[in-house]
Amino acid sequence: MTTQPNDTSLATADESATPSSRSGSGPTGNVGRWDRLGSAALGGILLVRGLRKRSLGGAAMALVGGALVSRGARGHSHLYRRLGMNTAGDEYRDAGPRTDPVTVERSITVGKPADELVPYWRNPERLSQLVGHFADVTTWGEDRYNWRVYGPFGQTIEWDAQLVSDRSDAEQSDGDQPDATHSDDDLHWETMEDAPIPHDGTVEFRPAPGDRGTEVTLRVQYDPPGGTLGTAVMRWLDVAPDVLVGTTLRRFKSLAETGEIPTLEANPSARGAGDLI
Amino acid sequence: MSMRALCWHDVNDLRVDDVPEPELVNPRDIVLRVTMTTACGSDLHFIDGYLPTMREGDVIGHEFMGEVAKVGRKVEGVEEGDRVVVPSFIGCGSCGYCQGDLWSLCDNTNPNAALQEPVLGDTTAGIYGYTHAFGGYAGSHAEYVRVPHADENCFHVPDELDDEQALFASDAWATGYMGADFCDIEEGDTVAVWGCGGVGLMAQQSAALMGAERVIGIDRFPERLRLAEREAGSETIDYTAVDSVVDALKAVTGGRGPDACIDAVGMEAHGTGPAHAYDRAKQQLKLHTDRGEALRQAIVACRKGGTLSILGVYGLMDKFPLGIVMNKGLTVRTAQQHGQRYVPDLLEYAAEGEMDPSYLATHELSLEESPRGYDLFKHKEDGCVRPVFVP
Repeated sequence: MTTQPNDTSLATADESATPSSRSGSGPTGNVGRWDRLGSAALGGILLVRGLRKRSLGGAAMALVGGALVSRGARGHSHLYRRLGMNTAGDEYRDAGPRTDPVTVERSITVGKPADELVPYWRNPERLSQLVGHFADVTTWGEDRYNWRVYGPFGQTIEWDAQLVSDRSDAEQSDGDQPDATHSDDDLHWETMEDAPIPHDGTVEFRPAPGDRGTEVTLRVQYDPPGGTLGTAVMRWLDVAPDVLVGTTLRRFKSLAETGEIPTLEANPSARGAGDLI
Repeated sequence: MSMRALCWHDVNDLRVDDVPEPELVNPRDIVLRVTMTTACGSDLHFIDGYLPTMREGDVIGHEFMGEVAKVGRKVEGVEEGDRVVVPSFIGCGSCGYCQGDLWSLCDNTNPNAALQEPVLGDTTAGIYGYTHAFGGYAGSHAEYVRVPHADENCFHVPDELDDEQALFASDAWATGYMGADFCDIEEGDTVAVWGCGGVGLMAQQSAALMGAERVIGIDRFPERLRLAEREAGSETIDYTAVDSVVDALKAVTGGRGPDACIDAVGMEAHGTGPAHAYDRAKQQLKLHTDRGEALRQAIVACRKGGTLSILGVYGLMDKFPLGIVMNKGLTVRTAQQHGQRYVPDLLEYAAEGEMDPSYLATHELSLEESPRGYDLFKHKEDGCVRPVFVP
């Protein structure tokens, strides 16, 4: 198992990024005209459906819809770049077999020491609060979690994941010296067999300079499904992980710093009570 | 339970509707019974359709005060029945920005950070009754409003003050005061303020309070210019009556220009020359969001090495003359209001009689009459500076 990004050029770009910035380099158009229109149209549908839907998945759907509209407007896809794809040329071009995992990575600085932050990612109730905008998490057995995620068109995607290395445990057992680039608190999990989209994730904790607290990086790597998926799902996968990872980190920071997550639950309007966005 | 509230339905379409009453949601929330709430010039930007992410049915309004009706289980220091004024931007009190007294930059109060981040590169604090990119919280032009992190956002109003004397500490007064504070006023300084609306008048009075030698207010409405002279002791310039505001300012400052220039106008500035016609045409064609005439005048008029304090609300302005800012070595200070930093001082000024902003409340109306109040306010009819609504 590796925790390093497979794509070294991506790692370089990420190192220069400021906390909270998107991974990847500046936009260059690699999304073709029809694809852009398709992104914008799909994004618009998701945005409207998500906003109308007063359910848990609606907020995620709407946020991702908004990001797709933005992808349509920008004409740049990080996923396409990583897959070597380009639909901006004369015709649709596929760079061939997709073997590299896609990495989504974002960071946030939280004004608390790492030892206070780790439990948020291990306790299933806390974890459910963090990802409550798009998923439910329950636990079965030690360090095993069941995830239910609400997909773009009403379907529920479900998988099991396992915390595979609690670094502090590993070091206690084999006596290794601490790795200079990782703190003892880093967490790593992998999906178990039969996950519909196999992936693994890492949460890293580094002390921030001065008295700024802890820099927390959430990195999710997934194997893009093969060529059997329709373009709608490809578009969904392009922006959904980035938006969901970013929002999860923000919710985490708010919960850790203030004890609550900002919400529009029960928010009054002439539409009724409660807003997702 | 339902209540009455002023809702945005479409561009230039405001209606008073029945909406659900707010509830306590998070443990540090209170629900406030609104006793007085007022229109702000920044509301006009989304009413006129220049700011995105409004949704049909949104309750608007962000400058308000009231009486605490319900108290969340983890709120400390705020009790049912307390009379409080609440700043328009919501702070958490815990993040690095709130701790640094930069409350409108709070990291933890905008539930819609993901809508704002692709444009701003980060997120602002949430605000009541504004666009969804700025949080989407229901606003204060209603019988009740939910106030998150109540212990950080509710400020007790001294008994001796009327609602009109305390209300504007919520936004207009705190914003104007912050704009003057940005100018680091020293003895002998001249401060010019573009705009004699609520925020501009408060900036002028605050600059005088902070010891400015001369304060000059710029506007085109005679009744507002009179208010600036009478209430803030300002000199005034009617920009429609002079060939050049810049020349007029140079003429009264011995050719130096003002030491500090405050823009209390923003993205829907009016002007008289070809630059204004150009801005207006581009804005109408949706080629850009801002008409920046006031800001450009301020940059040209300001003395070398002076301070440019920007309080007006802008979108993604183009044609910004950065080369002039750079070559003249101007210091740019700007922010949405950090109300929580200033409100306690402002309430003390009011209680001691040093400043009384109640003259801004030119029209007192019921909530049912609030659409008409916005009409009066937008078209500056009948000498309207601020309509205040009593739900």
